[in-house]
Amino acid sequence: MEVTMCIGPSMLPTFNMIGDIVVLEHFSPKLKRLEIGDVVVCISPTNPWRAVCKRILGMPGDRICIDPTVINRKYIIVPRGHVWLQGDNMSNSTDSRSYGPVPYALIRGRVFARLWPQTCWIKNGMIPLQDE
Amino acid sequence: MFNNFNVRTFIRAAAWGPVILFFVEHGFSIGSIQGRSMQPTFNPDSNKLRRDIVLLNRWIAVTHDYARGDVVTLYAPDDPDRVITKRIIALEGDTVFTTLPYPDKHVKIPKGHCWVEGDDVFHSKDSNEYGPIPLALINAKVSYILWPFSRFSKVERVESSRVSVFKED
Repeated sequence: MEVTMCIGPSMLPTFNMIGDIVVLEHFSPKLKRLEIGDVVVCISPTNPWRAVCKRILGMPGDRICIDPTVINRKYIIVPRGHVWLQGDNMSNSTDSRSYGPVPYALIRGRVFARLWPQTCWIKNGMIPLQDE
Repeated sequence: MFNNFNVRTFIRAAAWGPVILFFVEHGFSIGSIQGRSMQPTFNPDSNKLRRDIVLLNRWIAVTHDYARGDVVTLYAPDDPDRVITKRIIALEGDTVFTTLPYPDKHVKIPKGHCWVEGDDVFHSKDSNEYGPIPLALINAKVSYILWPFSRFSKVERVESSRVSVFKED
């Protein structure tokens, strides 16, 4: 368990820009219980001093479109032991689209609650689409 | 109950638990090295199933104060449960001339990354396969060989010749 602060515009609809106080738990990364849609805090691959807060959008083996807005879409398969992380505010976020898949060992914990402002649980935001 | 001598000694000993735990996690601890990827520095005799026991400096993962040629342990990028031992060849900004499994002839190390290789080039799965590795994956520096006692020594810093070092003006 850990209480930390999350600042910046990259997770904008979920967390506000000025800073949110959130609670992490370290058990799900250790037990490999993370799923697509979980909000995690991980050490930034480009700067070992900084931690970033992102949402998991791909697990090992998933095929992912790097940027759907460009004409020449590029696809990537997430390698073994890595995850694909993106911020909720896709237009203003430095994430896996710029530094590639992130090793699983860099994940510190899963964000499961927000303490301030507006205390609430942070749920897995994934909505499964039904096949027709 | 607290007047009992045994209970009091036990509580006094248990109070040191967190201190010792902090020291082992962030100070110094002992590890054993398995496999032949760091020959001849560690496990030079691969016929005998003997593992070298080494002293790990874990404080380096707090300060991130690495130098080219240091031997470090890090989480394998493709498997978070495995810890591997490699030598840092290059730090951010340097250019490395790679060997075969890597697709490009030379590579410039991006910000916050490093290039690690095993000492035994032929039996090592290292950055030539993974690519540059985030510095945050490193969890300790190997500073002394403790056992076998005949090879008790400091682990020397050996710099590679396949690097052109980035110099700040």
